[in-house]
Amino acid sequence: MTFLQPWVLVALPLAALPVIIHLINQRRFQTVPWAAMQFLLAAKALSRGYSRLRHWLILLLRMLAVAAVILAVGRPLSRGWLALAGGGRPDSAIVVLDRSPSMQARGPDGGESKLDPGRRQLADSLATLRAGRVLVVSDPVRGPEEVASSEAIADLATAGPTAAAADLPALLQSAYDFIRENAAGTTEVWICSDQRANDWRPDDGAWASIRDAFTKLPQQVRFQFLAYSAPATGNVALRVSSVRLETLGRDRRLVVTLAVSRQEDGDRRTLPVRFEIGGVTSAVDVELTGREAVLTNHVIPLERSAEAKGWGKVSISADANPADNDFFFVYAAPAERRTLVVAEDPAAGRVLELVAGIAPDKAAATVELVPPAGLATASWDTAAALLWQAPLPEGRDAEFVQAFVDRGGQVIFFPPDRPTAAEFAGGVWGEWTAHGTPVTAESWRTDQDLLANTLAGTALPLGEVEIRRSCSLAGDAVSLASLPGGGPLVARSSRADAITFCGTTPAPRDSSLAAEGIVLYAVVQRAIDRGLAVLGNARQADAGAATAALAAAGAPWTRRAGAANAPSTEAGLHAGVFAAGDRLVAVNRPAAEDAALAVADKQVDTLFRGLSFARIAGTAGDTDRLVREIWRAFLIAMLLALVGEGLLGLPRLAAAQPAARGVGSVEAAA
Amino acid sequence: MFTDRQPRSFLDPQVLARLSAVPLLARRPMVGSVSGRHASPHRGSSVEFAEYRKYVPGDDLRRLDWRAFGRSDRHYVKEYEADTNLRLVLVLDTSGSMNFASGEVTKIDFARRICGALAYLASQQGDAVGISCVADGIVQTLPPRRNAAHLRLAFDMLDEVRPAGPTRLPEVLHELAETIRQRAVVVIVSDLFCDAAALASAFSHLRFRRHDVAAFQLLDPQEIAFQFQRPTRFLDMEGGEAIFTDPIDISDRYHRAVQAYLADMKRIVLESAVDYHRVLTSEPYEQAVAGFLVGRASGRGLR
Repeated sequence: MTFLQPWVLVALPLAALPVIIHLINQRRFQTVPWAAMQFLLAAKALSRGYSRLRHWLILLLRMLAVAAVILAVGRPLSRGWLALAGGGRPDSAIVVLDRSPSMQARGPDGGESKLDPGRRQLADSLATLRAGRVLVVSDPVRGPEEVASSEAIADLATAGPTAAAADLPALLQSAYDFIRENAAGTTEVWICSDQRANDWRPDDGAWASIRDAFTKLPQQVRFQFLAYSAPATGNVALRVSSVRLETLGRDRRLVVTLAVSRQEDGDRRTLPVRFEIGGVTSAVDVELTGREAVLTNHVIPLERSAEAKGWGKVSISADANPADNDFFFVYAAPAERRTLVVAEDPAAGRVLELVAGIAPDKAAATVELVPPAGLATASWDTAAALLWQAPLPEGRDAEFVQAFVDRGGQVIFFPPDRPTAAEFAGGVWGEWTAHGTPVTAESWRTDQDLLANTLAGTALPLGEVEIRRSCSLAGDAVSLASLPGGGPLVARSSRADAITFCGTTPAPRDSSLAAEGIVLYAVVQRAIDRGLAVLGNARQADAGAATAALAAAGAPWTRRAGAANAPSTEAGLHAGVFAAGDRLVAVNRPAAEDAALAVADKQVDTLFRGLSFARIAGTAGDTDRLVREIWRAFLIAMLLALVGEGLLGLPRLAAAQPAARGVGSVEAAA
Repeated sequence: MFTDRQPRSFLDPQVLARLSAVPLLARRPMVGSVSGRHASPHRGSSVEFAEYRKYVPGDDLRRLDWRAFGRSDRHYVKEYEADTNLRLVLVLDTSGSMNFASGEVTKIDFARRICGALAYLASQQGDAVGISCVADGIVQTLPPRRNAAHLRLAFDMLDEVRPAGPTRLPEVLHELAETIRQRAVVVIVSDLFCDAAALASAFSHLRFRRHDVAAFQLLDPQEIAFQFQRPTRFLDMEGGEAIFTDPIDISDRYHRAVQAYLADMKRIVLESAVDYHRVLTSEPYEQAVAGFLVGRASGRGLR
């Protein structure tokens, strides 16, 4: 329990006044010579259990009454059910808002989302607490924004819902930076979130440093976590996984693959899915039986007069979370499948040239063999992928490759014949190991990345590829496929997702990658596809990451579709379609937002271990105030205590009167 | 007849004059030594005819009823009731508890007034008066006599007696029952703060000895009301252990104890035919004595 005027609690020992008065009263007794001792002795001999109990109860009730008055004057605050964290009025209050799409899930009554009551309750609570400064952290890039009054939180434009995931560690780091630089005195950090794993990132190493940093702060920092962890029931999420523009003569059509998913098993449902492309609306029904249904290669013919570039929106009917009912997409004629191959081994280079040069569809694919000395003249801007079988680039070469990666290009490094000590993106080639008996990959990641299963769910036959010679990889990389003994065969750089290391070459002396060409072909073509995604004039981007994409477009952007009332400074955080120059960018929520994976309460407690932390459970649509003054309750308690004290005193008076009447009646009889 | 001119604090002439209008009578026949105004179990020479009895040789011929002889030719002697005096024994409790007073009048003062008035009234009508001052035993005693000098001695005793010591009233009453030689009116003036069962036994003993027993129980108003506002240390006036308590806490139980005691006392006096008067010391003593006298006057004629 907290108090707005905690100094009043200094007077709490006054609650002992009734006992002290009682003791003083006991000491100032009178001495009376008494004749009728036999009655006194009889009275004392009679049962005194109830009398003594009543006596102490009266004293207790008097103490309670005094204590209740003092507590009421201290203006107590009720903080939900926990109210564990002590302390009074904070000097600063920093509100860390999780504005991710999952926070827009509505309660069972379908009224407000989780974010609405969260913001309102935070505003009410901070108004009640009368914090000196109130700041809102909703974007780690922008940092804390000071608001004039706590009531403004509910209406703050930059505190509204977004399509981007919240990065809690980054938000808290931002709050910490502010506290360290500005805040003096006690600070309360109020976190409002639905505890989703993709927002909290509990495995992020930043948590430990944030925790340590807060622990070392000289001022007291209290964390209040308003948790809306209850998942939305009956929610269905829509996601478009691919949109392909196909041209057949003069006709054009869109081939769309989408998925509808839900978090719990339910009855068979028929979901009408609406497509809106260039003002033309069409619909298709999708049968949802399990948790997910995929509509593969749905063909939508386009008008002949339509441009070869455009955007559309797919939507399903309203449900518990409106944030995942729409999905924007853009389409354009695909860019040329152009690949750069740098290979010191001609055998390997030839294989790489072959696998990169054959497109999976009828589109043209070109491969440019670049000698190591000709990097400066290579056409970097139009290439989607770079296949590098040579010592890791250094110096100027490294700058070219790094710029290519930063632009969105994909790179696969194969080991050179003589590895050097050069390091790139955290990876360093080690020594070659010749396997007398060819080995095969022991395990690999089939759920994502370049070695993921095919759309049909079939695993790539990596286990059939014989590795005769492998080169070890040192440095900072995430293994995607490992050899017997744990060494990585395929690894992704932990610094850049676009960089992949393959621990052997497709040369026949090193592996059977060329002979069992499916694996190498799939990996290379997937890398090219990824690279093409940023090359074309149509690009899909996750909200949040889209901010950088819009900024990198190099031209002023305009909003074609999406939340019109969103602040322009937050364009990349909201779902919609943006046009920048010739490019179209469709921004949607990240795929991880559709997974309702929540961080366990214990894990959250662990993240704040050693800090003053209290969690308060909230529910969507909750209209109760989180923090409220409850001095009235204490006054009522005082009244009840006084009434109780009076009632306990009543029987004593009632007993005295009949006694007096009894004597009178006996006298009259006598 | 009464020649004591010494002023007595417990005697009020005006009250005595008013009380003289009602005679002090016994409820039972008394065996006196001289003629008086009280019924006697024996035949005597009063004007009140009692019965005829056959003449036996030796009878006084003057008492022979000649008219009856003329009618029946038999000798009858006419007999009359005898009137005699009584012996009034005042038993005054002089234990420490009698010194209690919440107001101006202590119980012993009140008792002195009652005893003084009764002694004077009895003496005035020619009855013998004796006093026994009792506490844990018979402290002082004055046997019943009917002369004026004896009355002065009785008043002196009332004057000088001081309350002290514990009460052993039942034992003392047993002793008195054995030591008072003839039938007497025994008037006990006390607060009767003793064991009710023992007291009942003592009353029965006195009754068995054919004494006419009367009791004035003197109670102070505070002893009934028990109204104290502060914790109090109660000192036993009869030398017992002091009790410290908060009267507010135990007042209800105290009142219950008083009620039970008074109910017991009422039952005992009914069973032992004691002429019982409960008197608050805040009331005028004249009222108590007048009630006592009037109650007895209405019972005149018992033999």
